Amino acid sequence: MKTDHYDVVIAGSGIAGSLIAKTLTRAGKKVLLLEAGLQAGVALDSDGAYNNYMSYLDRFYNAAAKVPNSPYPILKDAPTSNVLDVVKLTPGGPPPPGYLVQMGPLPFASDAVRGPGGTMLHWLGTTLRMLPNDFKMKTVYNQAVDWPITADDLRPYYEMAELEIGVSGEVSEQTYPDTPAPKAYFGKDYVFPMHKIPQSYLDTEIAKGVQNMTVKLNKRQYKINCISTPQGRNSTPNAKYPYRDVIWNKAEKKLKLTGLLGEKYDYNPVPSIWDAYTGQRCEGNASCVPICPVQAKYNPLKTLKRSNFDHLTIITQAVASTINIDEKTKEVTGIVYKRYNNPDSPEYTTGVAAGKIYVLAANAIENAKILLASGAANSSDQVGRNLMDHMVMLTWGLTKEKIYPYRGPGSTTNIATFRDGPFRSEHAAWISPFDNWGWSWPVFSPGSDVSDGLAMGLFGKQLRDYLNERLTRQFLLHFECEQSPDPDNRVTIDHQYLDPLGNYKPIIHYYATDYMLKSMEAAKTVSDQIFAANGIEDHTVYNPVTDAGYVTYKGQGYTYRGAGHIVGTHRMGFNKHDSVVNHEQRTWDHPNLFLAGCGNMPTLGTSNPSLTMTALTFKAAEAILKQLEK
Amino acid sequence: MANNRADLFLEISALLTGFNKAELQGTGMVATYYNTVANIPQDPNYSDQELAANEANVGFFFEEVNSILKENKKDESKLQQAIAGRLMPLSAYNGLAQSIITLWYTGSWGANVVNAQAYIQGLMWDTAEAHPPGAKQPGFGSWSFPPL
Repeated sequence: MKTDHYDVVIAGSGIAGSLIAKTLTRAGKKVLLLEAGLQAGVALDSDGAYNNYMSYLDRFYNAAAKVPNSPYPILKDAPTSNVLDVVKLTPGGPPPPGYLVQMGPLPFASDAVRGPGGTMLHWLGTTLRMLPNDFKMKTVYNQAVDWPITADDLRPYYEMAELEIGVSGEVSEQTYPDTPAPKAYFGKDYVFPMHKIPQSYLDTEIAKGVQNMTVKLNKRQYKINCISTPQGRNSTPNAKYPYRDVIWNKAEKKLKLTGLLGEKYDYNPVPSIWDAYTGQRCEGNASCVPICPVQAKYNPLKTLKRSNFDHLTIITQAVASTINIDEKTKEVTGIVYKRYNNPDSPEYTTGVAAGKIYVLAANAIENAKILLASGAANSSDQVGRNLMDHMVMLTWGLTKEKIYPYRGPGSTTNIATFRDGPFRSEHAAWISPFDNWGWSWPVFSPGSDVSDGLAMGLFGKQLRDYLNERLTRQFLLHFECEQSPDPDNRVTIDHQYLDPLGNYKPIIHYYATDYMLKSMEAAKTVSDQIFAANGIEDHTVYNPVTDAGYVTYKGQGYTYRGAGHIVGTHRMGFNKHDSVVNHEQRTWDHPNLFLAGCGNMPTLGTSNPSLTMTALTFKAAEAILKQLEK
Repeated sequence: MANNRADLFLEISALLTGFNKAELQGTGMVATYYNTVANIPQDPNYSDQELAANEANVGFFFEEVNSILKENKKDESKLQQAIAGRLMPLSAYNGLAQSIITLWYTGSWGANVVNAQAYIQGLMWDTAEAHPPGAKQPGFGSWSFPPL
């Protein structure tokens, strides 16, 4: 079965796919969107959207392990990674069960959502931009690669992304290492759409002792800088924010923000997809990951909802499998998809989606899989390679005074000090968010504290007091270490490993270089100094037997966890020999094939990648429109 | 005996959790949890023998609770000692007392969340002076102040 001929066919309705669908349909282009997940998830009418989303929330409430994917349906025909499947690997042993075929030697520890809205349904919401040096790691630090674009090139697209997502934050507080002051880096009059999300009580209490303290690292001294974190969740609108929309300017062949800096305009927070009066402000549900019950946190369905539906066709339960390529012209002629009726049954029908231009926006691992299965876009041999994540090292302790965690968004403050610096020629940079949710991530608190209390023989008032003293003092610090691109960290495919529809399961090869291990050693040194200077009793344990991500360096053990930042499998670069796509996100090998998403990022930086990926996606949408109107 | 088991359940739950009876009633979970404990497995995975053994265990547990409460009516410290010695060990009544505490604090019975309300009403969140993630949200900016 072959579909009508569309201007553009997109695979995937996460932020990359939804944003391209929205931008193109509003410019009058005819778009077909293929989505692997369930039909119910794409409902955008009030009743349908509400009922489906509440089913996610109910699934979350009832889940024994409240992991990032816990609210979302598990589909045999469109399976996905799950952090519950991340286990310690045995050298030489068979890969453990799970969607990712983990060949090791270390497990890749992040997951994704396959369904309408994509993985940003369970993103935390942090919207930091990358720093200028992040784009030129090779030139400045002789590490990794440079991007074919600079921070300045990306600035207008960052502004579009900050409008699309609805960022809350204070530009004036965004002081970063080795980066021009906020007025210079963001532009003199630039502000975010909304004022910052209030920082937590915990942040204020911890910052009292940490802000401006001096730490030593490799014989250098650093002054710690704690700043508010910009976030994609609704807060109080900033009256100085002027932008209203992003539109296609036919004459200039550019996407443009409407509204001018200095003009007055009342920005309206984007509410939930089911009701204009829900989600206008963050309500403090403290469950951003895995689900914001009121949708005050941005998710891509908000973008999809603003598409022009006169020009948009969505086919759900349609899993993109391969692409067809004209051998002579190298043009893509269709995306082959398998459509299932029942997600638990292996029965499907095959369709071919046809258009002028094609976009794979199915996430970094899925995009790589589809390209490898099709023998496409791979003259550089870079498809599937350079898989990256932030390797997250956690440290945790008990504070002297009560700091009252388990309240507010996941993180509202970060230490920016180690996001850049000369040490990057020796080891990875990192960002250190303060975590507002106690020890829930590393040790499953507070449930584990109840078990600990029982194991001590406590009951009644003594148990209640013990738990109160413990739970109100739990402090957790992250070190999100920037994984550098490595060709051997990669996604491959093999006929041995197929899902029920006969699509490939991704085979993952993953390890940590010394550059990464050294950053964990360095981060632990910093953590130790922060804890000691502030009387935080260290309870950090890295368990060689039970921690899936346990690694050793110079005789010391560390544990990394996944950040959910799946990046790098079809990198952008300078030419067809070093990369899969160019700076417009078009594949070098196929003139009408674009790739969208985090897979295009040549390096990761220390910022959570969603905002940068959204900025790159605006760039892709612009290039697609330019190409269509040639 | 059987008719006042529900009362005994509330009584012993308060002593085990450190929350008073009014606080426990306020969760709306007393009846659900009593049924969870008393009728444990309507689970088809259990054999008739297992069901009978379990029913007997629950019966003995409530008899013991009844005696402990009666014998120590007037002496709080003896009451605490009796609970510690006769109910709290994992060897006593298959660890039922500890399971009841876990049920109240976390909303889970064994490996399962009893239901959505059980998760939401978990006492551990009140104990932390917080709220269950995803429910009972305290409102914009509340997290920037110490709890009320």
